[in-house]
Amino acid sequence: MTSASWSMMLVVSVNAILFHAMPRFSRPDILFAVTVPEAFAAGAGRTLVTRYRAIIWSGATAALAIGLLLPAFLPGSVQGGMLVIGPVAGNMMVALVAWLLAHRKARAHAVPFSDVRVASLVPRDTSLPGGTLFAAGPFAILLATAVLVYTYRDDVRVGPITIKPFGPLVFGGVYVAMMLTMAVSLARRTRQIAVDGLAAAAEQRFRRVNVLVLVLTGYAVAVLLSATTVASIPGFGDAVMGRAWFVLMPVMLFNFGVAFWMFRVGQGGQRAVAPAARQEVHGDATPDYAWKVGGLLYFNPRDPAIWVENRVGPGYTLNMGNLRAWLLIAGMMLVPMIAARLLF
Amino acid sequence: MAGALRVSLNLESSVPAYRQIANDLRRHLVEERLKPGDLLPPVRQLAVDLGVHFNTVALAYRMLAAEGWLELKRRRGAAVIARSAPRAVDRSQVDHLLRQLAHIAAELRSVGMTSRQISSALRRLAQGTRP
Repeated sequence: MTSASWSMMLVVSVNAILFHAMPRFSRPDILFAVTVPEAFAAGAGRTLVTRYRAIIWSGATAALAIGLLLPAFLPGSVQGGMLVIGPVAGNMMVALVAWLLAHRKARAHAVPFSDVRVASLVPRDTSLPGGTLFAAGPFAILLATAVLVYTYRDDVRVGPITIKPFGPLVFGGVYVAMMLTMAVSLARRTRQIAVDGLAAAAEQRFRRVNVLVLVLTGYAVAVLLSATTVASIPGFGDAVMGRAWFVLMPVMLFNFGVAFWMFRVGQGGQRAVAPAARQEVHGDATPDYAWKVGGLLYFNPRDPAIWVENRVGPGYTLNMGNLRAWLLIAGMMLVPMIAARLLF
Repeated sequence: MAGALRVSLNLESSVPAYRQIANDLRRHLVEERLKPGDLLPPVRQLAVDLGVHFNTVALAYRMLAAEGWLELKRRRGAAVIARSAPRAVDRSQVDHLLRQLAHIAAELRSVGMTSRQISSALRRLAQGTRP
């Protein structure tokens, strides 16, 4: 088998595993991005999940079979790209259609959205995990690297595509600032759905882990870009690049650990809480009609929340009906443009 | 501060949302579940949690601040303050509230409650317990 075949098998398998796990990431009474009665989720909903997963794995098996048989029918010159793109795209399409079909079936059992709102009057911790100093760490790393590059400015090797020596550091600074903005906004502007008790504690823990992931991503970016920059100074290069993994590996392992933890505890940490402790919490306090494209996008101009819990996959998503969410998106799109201007 | 302090509102109610929030908060204040020194959530946080506009919560906070219950803190919500004495009695407001009470009493009688039952429920409410 060629490397293209191996790549295709890996991508198709990972895609199938992700789609298989998707229903598990939701809150217990949200199924295929629809708020359903818990009795339905525990009964007929399970059959729906089983059928959905059967389609996912049938599609993946078909994609793998086609991908492995293609080399016998295609001329060698087109095999590489076709072997990966064809089966992967086909597999993705099957998975998306399976999700949309299941979503449509679940909507028939949707619970009407309640007009009663309840909130806790106890202020919650909205600070960044580890405090402001810890959050500023990536900037310190980038600044220290900038000082080092400035000290050895006459020895710095210019890259083959004329990357300016400070370019990656400025890009890193902008990127880290974006990550921190998102972290602060996530900590302060997400809705607390469970009002009190164990369910509220689980939800707050889930939120803070998500915020921590953003802060640590800032560290990973700062270390990676600092190492890349320092590598352009003769004498520093090999030593630094080798050691950068000591920082990056724990961050990557942490992220894998978090993904696994989210799979176990579900959205908002609510699968780890006994049903009795969830009390009157039902759904995620967002109306079903505001979720578009099978629950992928949330658009609700009447909702002041910038972030809401994802209905497809773990974590949070932006409320596309909120102007501040668009400002965040605009910021995220500006980062690569600024970087391109600075680097080349 | 007690753990089960909540504020609730019904968007279908004829009572404006800011008034529902203020009423719930006032009940907690009168019943001393919220004590001087306690902090309330920032306006934006409570608004996001309730799914209402920031101004709705801000209006409720301002209303209670005007009554002498809260001190508003920029970006940090509001703090409950010691209310040394009730404001000077506003006779017209008291009359207005008593008229409302008379309407409610009439409604309660029309659904079958006796005068004795209404008096007893009012006494329990005045003492801070549920009727």
